[in-house]
Amino acid sequence: MEKHIKSYIKKSVKLLQNLPHKEIAKAMNLLQATYERDGRIYVFGNGGSLALATHWVADFNKTVFSHHLDKNTRRFQAIRLPTTEEELTAWANDVGFDMVFAGPLRNYLRDGDLVIAISSSGNSPNIIKAVELAKEYKIPVIGVSGFEGGVLNELADVKILVNTDKGEYELVEGIHAVILHLITKYFKNYFDYLDKNISIK
Amino acid sequence: MIIVRAPLRISFVGGGSDLPDFYHMSPGKVISATIDKYVYVAINPAPLLKGISARYSINENVKRVIDLKNDRIRETMLHLGVEDNMEIGTFSHMPVGTGLGGSSSFAVTLVKGLSTYLGQRLDKKDIAEIACKIEIDILKEPIGKQDQYAATFGGFNTFQFNSDESVDVEPILLDYKKSLDLENHMLVFFTGILRKASSVLKEQKTNIPQKMDTLKSMVDLVEVFKKKLIRGDFEGLGKLLHENWLKKKKLASNVSNSEIDQLYTVGMRNGAWGGKVLGAGGGGCILFLAPFKKKEIIKEAVHEMAKKLGLSDFKQVPIKFVHSGVEIVSSSLFN
Repeated sequence: MEKHIKSYIKKSVKLLQNLPHKEIAKAMNLLQATYERDGRIYVFGNGGSLALATHWVADFNKTVFSHHLDKNTRRFQAIRLPTTEEELTAWANDVGFDMVFAGPLRNYLRDGDLVIAISSSGNSPNIIKAVELAKEYKIPVIGVSGFEGGVLNELADVKILVNTDKGEYELVEGIHAVILHLITKYFKNYFDYLDKNISIK
Repeated sequence: MIIVRAPLRISFVGGGSDLPDFYHMSPGKVISATIDKYVYVAINPAPLLKGISARYSINENVKRVIDLKNDRIRETMLHLGVEDNMEIGTFSHMPVGTGLGGSSSFAVTLVKGLSTYLGQRLDKKDIAEIACKIEIDILKEPIGKQDQYAATFGGFNTFQFNSDESVDVEPILLDYKKSLDLENHMLVFFTGILRKASSVLKEQKTNIPQKMDTLKSMVDLVEVFKKKLIRGDFEGLGKLLHENWLKKKKLASNVSNSEIDQLYTVGMRNGAWGGKVLGAGGGGCILFLAPFKKKEIIKEAVHEMAKKLGLSDFKQVPIKFVHSGVEIVSSSLFN
């Protein structure tokens, strides 16, 4: 057991050390711009990535403002897609599983919004369909991928790739969660500093 | 109705190297940031109207687009092929002539708004390039490309202008702390003198062959400025602005004048690290970077000087940086 623990931690640490800093910074820049123009942020993924998408929405809509819940009238508008299980099953059953994200995305998408697509392989057809829709609308896409990055990493405007061997879902999903929390913490600190800054002025 | 807006910008260093006479010979480069002052355009299709109604400082009612006096509205409509009867109005936080790139922000806003009206979804690059084409190629303004790009992309950026007319856009990934601290070290004043950028740039353009070395050395300051900005070395940034301003004044006789020189000297004498006139020069806004503790003294001193010079419209302008470029504020059209 000790050997497994050691080796898993070693691999995770290496992946963390090789994260694309510039791409993560670009993502934070885009999120800042989207916040300022009151645009909406759509987050989606399959399986564990859908769980991360939901987590992301909760952290962005609430956690980053935790210290100032009564002050910030302008908040992030993060939306997990699809927003209900009913939509998910309706699109999957009636139209096809490849439309479960692109279908609901079309209802919302408007100029000034932002898309965060999460896919370990970067090749899930339903993710790519939604990303292609965003590209057609000229909406910026943050691609959070693993393995070799796949089509998602090619199409995305911001390419956050956790580069691993094929099939390393556990490692990739774990690092994706770290990236989410890194960004959450940045904006939490930002709103704290903004508050302090206003009191200086 | 479609409501669209684009931010104005503060240019830090490298201005003038975005003129084709320069970047056809040697790559141009500027560094700028967009601010929370905007140009708005409202587009309202009105099928029963007999032509176009343009509302800005005056009201124009014409039957055909080609009869519009407002050159940017006219040429953008013609270029994009908008012929429908409509009302088109503009609002701005700052008048044109303040050195904040307002006329190009207006062009960018028109391109974004009218293309959206047509149901087109344009890339940022396309929006900036169409605005450049309208202002530089069609209207023959002797201006550069930096303002159209700044207004379209938004945020802190460096723009490189290449001889093949391509423009490299590099966002500066500045954290919130540096950006907010920079605001705290800045002072921006409107001198009360409105001027047309084209009048200054016309002479500057003619002078370019003799000023290649000066312009090249200004381009070199861009990367230095960027590094100091990311480090948060505000004193260093102030000194660079000062160096850039001294060089900029050499580009044409009308970049500065005695009022500007006296205002600038007073700011420096009271503790500013450096500064510059924003935009082409000859009037508009003055920017200072200064230690936080000196800001009040500088404010008082320059206001006093402005009064002495009889600049009755002289006023401080509070500035915040914004990261978003041209954007649709609201659209009630279905497409």
